[in-house]
Amino acid sequence: MDIRLAPEPFDPQAEEAAFAAGRRDIGAVVSFTGVCRERTDGEGVGELFLDHYPGFTEKEIARLAADVAARCQCPDIKVIHRVGRLTPGEPIVLVVALSEHRDAAFEAVRLLMDYLKTDAPLWKRETGPNGERWIEPRADDIARRAAAEITDRT
Amino acid sequence: MVKLVFLGKLRGEGRDDLVAPPNVMTLADLKDWLAHCDPALGEALTTMRTQVVLNREIVHDMALPIGDGDEVAFLPPMSGG
Repeated sequence: MDIRLAPEPFDPQAEEAAFAAGRRDIGAVVSFTGVCRERTDGEGVGELFLDHYPGFTEKEIARLAADVAARCQCPDIKVIHRVGRLTPGEPIVLVVALSEHRDAAFEAVRLLMDYLKTDAPLWKRETGPNGERWIEPRADDIARRAAAEITDRT
Repeated sequence: MVKLVFLGKLRGEGRDDLVAPPNVMTLADLKDWLAHCDPALGEALTTMRTQVVLNREIVHDMALPIGDGDEVAFLPPMSGG
C-alpha cells in the first residue's frame, strides 16, 4: 500500500510504472487518473484549492484503501492525491490497483474512487469569474457511495 | 489549552486562534461556546453535516471530555477525488 498527498504536480504514468515495476506476482494493473476540469457546472475554473487536515487526511485515505483492498481481495493499491493549489489540466488523483486477475483491480479502483469522492477528508474550493466557492459533494457521488454499500464509521 | 481546527468552508478569520474558557469541559460545551462567540459558525455547525475529530479520531459522543493538549477539528462535508 502506498498512500501519498502531493503538494506539487505529479506524473501519473511514471507513478503507475514505478508501482508495478518488478511485480511478477500480478497479472493486472488498473489505474484511474482524475484531472482538474476547466469548467464545472458550466462555470469556468481558474484555480482549484484542495484543503486537507495534515496527519488525518492521509490516515483516512489509507483506511479507505485498506478496506477496499480487503473487500476486493486486491493485494496492493496506490493513491496519490493533490493538495493545495492546482490549475485546470493537472491531475488531482491517481488510484492504481494491482491484482492477480483483472476483475479485482477494476473493482478496487472503481470502489475506492467512490469512497474518495465522499469520505476522503479533502475540501475543494474553486476560483472562477464569479469569485470563490466551496464545492459540496455531488448528489450522484452520494448516491454512488450509498449504492456501493460502503461501511460507515459509525 | 484545546487546539481548534476548522476545515473547508468552516475556515474563517481567526477561528483557529479561538481559546475556549476553562468551563468548556466537553465537546458539547465547546459547540455551545463556539455558537455563542461566533453565531455564523454555530449555525454552520448545526445545519451542516459536520463531523467532529478529537485527537485525529472521528467521534460521535459529544459528552466526551476535552482538556489541555487536546485537538478538536470540525469537518464539513468532504469533496475529494
